[in-house]
Amino acid sequence: MNSPAASIGHESHGHHGPVLQYQPGLPLSRGKLIMWLFLSTEIMFFAALLGSYVVLRFGAAVWPKPHHVHLSEPIGAFNTFVLICSSVTVVLALEAARANKRSLAKGWMLVTLVLGSLFLGVKAYEYSSKFDHGIYPWAPRGRIYERPDLYYGSAVRARLSDPAILAKIKELDARPEGELSEAELTGRRRLKQVREMVANPDQQAFDLAVVADQIMPLPGDGADGHGHGGGLNDTFAWLQLPAVIPGGNMWASTYFFLTGFHAIHVIVGLIVFGIILLYELGPQRAGMIENAGLYWHFVDLVWIFLFPLLYLF
Amino acid sequence: MNNPEADNSSNVTHGPVTSPGRLPEEIDARGEDGQQSHEEHSGIMQYMAVFAALCFLTTMSFLTYSSYWPWKDEPQVGWAFMMAVSCTKALLVVLFFMHVLQEANWKYVLTIPAAMMAIFLAIMLIPDIGLRNRMVSQERALHMARNSDVLLLEKAASSDSSDEVGKHEH
Repeated sequence: MNSPAASIGHESHGHHGPVLQYQPGLPLSRGKLIMWLFLSTEIMFFAALLGSYVVLRFGAAVWPKPHHVHLSEPIGAFNTFVLICSSVTVVLALEAARANKRSLAKGWMLVTLVLGSLFLGVKAYEYSSKFDHGIYPWAPRGRIYERPDLYYGSAVRARLSDPAILAKIKELDARPEGELSEAELTGRRRLKQVREMVANPDQQAFDLAVVADQIMPLPGDGADGHGHGGGLNDTFAWLQLPAVIPGGNMWASTYFFLTGFHAIHVIVGLIVFGIILLYELGPQRAGMIENAGLYWHFVDLVWIFLFPLLYLF
Repeated sequence: MNNPEADNSSNVTHGPVTSPGRLPEEIDARGEDGQQSHEEHSGIMQYMAVFAALCFLTTMSFLTYSSYWPWKDEPQVGWAFMMAVSCTKALLVVLFFMHVLQEANWKYVLTIPAAMMAIFLAIMLIPDIGLRNRMVSQERALHMARNSDVLLLEKAASSDSSDEVGKHEH
């Protein structure tokens, strides 16, 4: 930092002119400087995302509990553990490369790649469980209603009037009791009750709350997180009836936005690790591993805040 | 160890390394194989200690869910605790895994402005928390969920449960 931009070398001999030597302004490589500058912008990017989430979360009149939106804390904690492990393997790869243990460095790098892929796999499983319950970040596919009001009642009625669904219901009604499991028998009785309730022109708000509860009950706070039993959407997967989760749509938007952007960062990191694995990982590549590691630690850092905010609050 | 350029600087090509607590001569003097492997070993031990601390802190986040947590009725205490745990974890990752602890003073130039901008950004968003429901359009007010909806659903769930119990008793 105190060094001048250029200095005159003393090794000039006679006929040679003074040799100019490049003096970096900061005592770090250009790659590392650029990576840190990039990470500075990333800090602000994720601060904006997390800040917006906090505003929406604490400004909302109602926000769903993690169990209401089928979030599993142990799965989130497992993913946290996976990312922490991958951060350790990156630094071990860096140390191995610096010590010229090339195959060891490559091994640690490969383990990092596998752990990152495992994180994405778990995330994909989590996403699919949201999709199964009709929780999507956008309207055309999403089946979540904010409150059990008339709009919700008409949406359920419209779905139950669908010819394909009507045909399936007719088929279900025609099956003898002996062929059905206990859950299906209860489900069939509940479905009949729901059809009568949404068809009733004098339906009250409480009736629609009962309909919503029959279709997809809000799980209780119990350890199993499944409340008093599965709803019609669980018993008959083909029904796909609209469900009520108060605050569920805003939750879905923020959840998919935050975790989606984080997952994109993970994918980019995995691509970088894949490229690094093509090289011989000796001391000459330590800078490259260090820069990729800085990026990966930042991805880990973001998840450290995302995990409690999304899963535990 | 502070940065790769400094380690190979027997023919010094740049200015003094601003590593805290070490003189450039000390940095240049080391380099014997034994000392290097010793440093590598102690570095790995340090990484493992940080890893253990991170795992422990992740488990600590769940303390708020256990029966030992005394502030069950005040969720804000649990949130503050979990954020404190997260900040500690973030600090450990930044200081040890990202080697910021060992970096020269340039680290302040890059990290402090970014951190300040991030904090300002969060502070600027705070008024929105208080004002969010004060200026609500009629259409949104009609469709947005309220606490009364949650209570209604809970009442419906409990009535359904009691119905089920009644049926089993018959």
